[in-house]
Amino acid sequence: MDSIKFEVHWYRRVFHTFGSSFLVYYIIPDTGWSGILKRLIPTLIILFVSILEYLRITGKISSNYFFGLRVYEEKRVGSYLFFGVAVFILLLFFPQQIAVPCILCACFTDPIMGETRQRYGGKNACIAGFFVSMFFFIATWYRADIWIRLLVSIVGGTSAVIGEAKKNRWIDDDFMVQILPAVFILILWRMIGLTGLEMLPSPMIHPI
Amino acid sequence: MREENRYLTGKSIVNRQGIRTELCFLPLLIFLPFAVSIILLWSWYYRGFSMGCSDYDGELMLALIILIGNIVFDIPFVKSLVRSIHRK
Repeated sequence: MDSIKFEVHWYRRVFHTFGSSFLVYYIIPDTGWSGILKRLIPTLIILFVSILEYLRITGKISSNYFFGLRVYEEKRVGSYLFFGVAVFILLLFFPQQIAVPCILCACFTDPIMGETRQRYGGKNACIAGFFVSMFFFIATWYRADIWIRLLVSIVGGTSAVIGEAKKNRWIDDDFMVQILPAVFILILWRMIGLTGLEMLPSPMIHPI
Repeated sequence: MREENRYLTGKSIVNRQGIRTELCFLPLLIFLPFAVSIILLWSWYYRGFSMGCSDYDGELMLALIILIGNIVFDIPFVKSLVRSIHRK
């Protein structure tokens, strides 16, 4: 029983890091059939998972088939759907420069914070989460001016930690950790844009 | 009958059917991130590094983040899985 408990814990962590695979979206060309498919496939996946989740909550499919589901998720939408919807929104509706670090935050900051919280407590988890998220923003915005990089990494890091730490029954932290920094940086980008400055660096990933 | 199969561990629900689902997803969970990071590395090397173009350096950075991040969490996961299989 202890071994399975351990396995569930790591399974949830690996499910998070697996999410980084979705960045393959940006490698797929935007033109022709591949351009249509790259938008259609994520939409169909989200639709399929939403239907599956609806059937699970209404009891038509047993929750027993869903490995690693948390006890409180039995009667509400599972965190994996929140994670998927947030990735979907970021990929389709946000610029790549904003979406990439936010997805990385969900994939790596969340499990790192979880591990740190278990071993060293909540306060240290927030500190670790802040610096890890900051690193993702600094790394992905490496082409931007230094002051923009600092500003974006502080705003992104802070909002990612707030998003991870503040969860409630209706909105999961897997959603907030991605969307909150994305919305804040989007607002920042628009506001700085009003002054005539272009804040966004060039995209990191180029379609093949 | 199902309730007998199912028990709670900590905060998560574990059951036999669920473990089967997990085993089905296992290859995808482990190998897909590696495949993506290899594609990014390939793209950086052939389109960027070998052409002397620095536009693709971001792809190298992302490939390394994905690769290292996944290795860090895959190792304890695979270890725990092997341990649980041996205990059965």
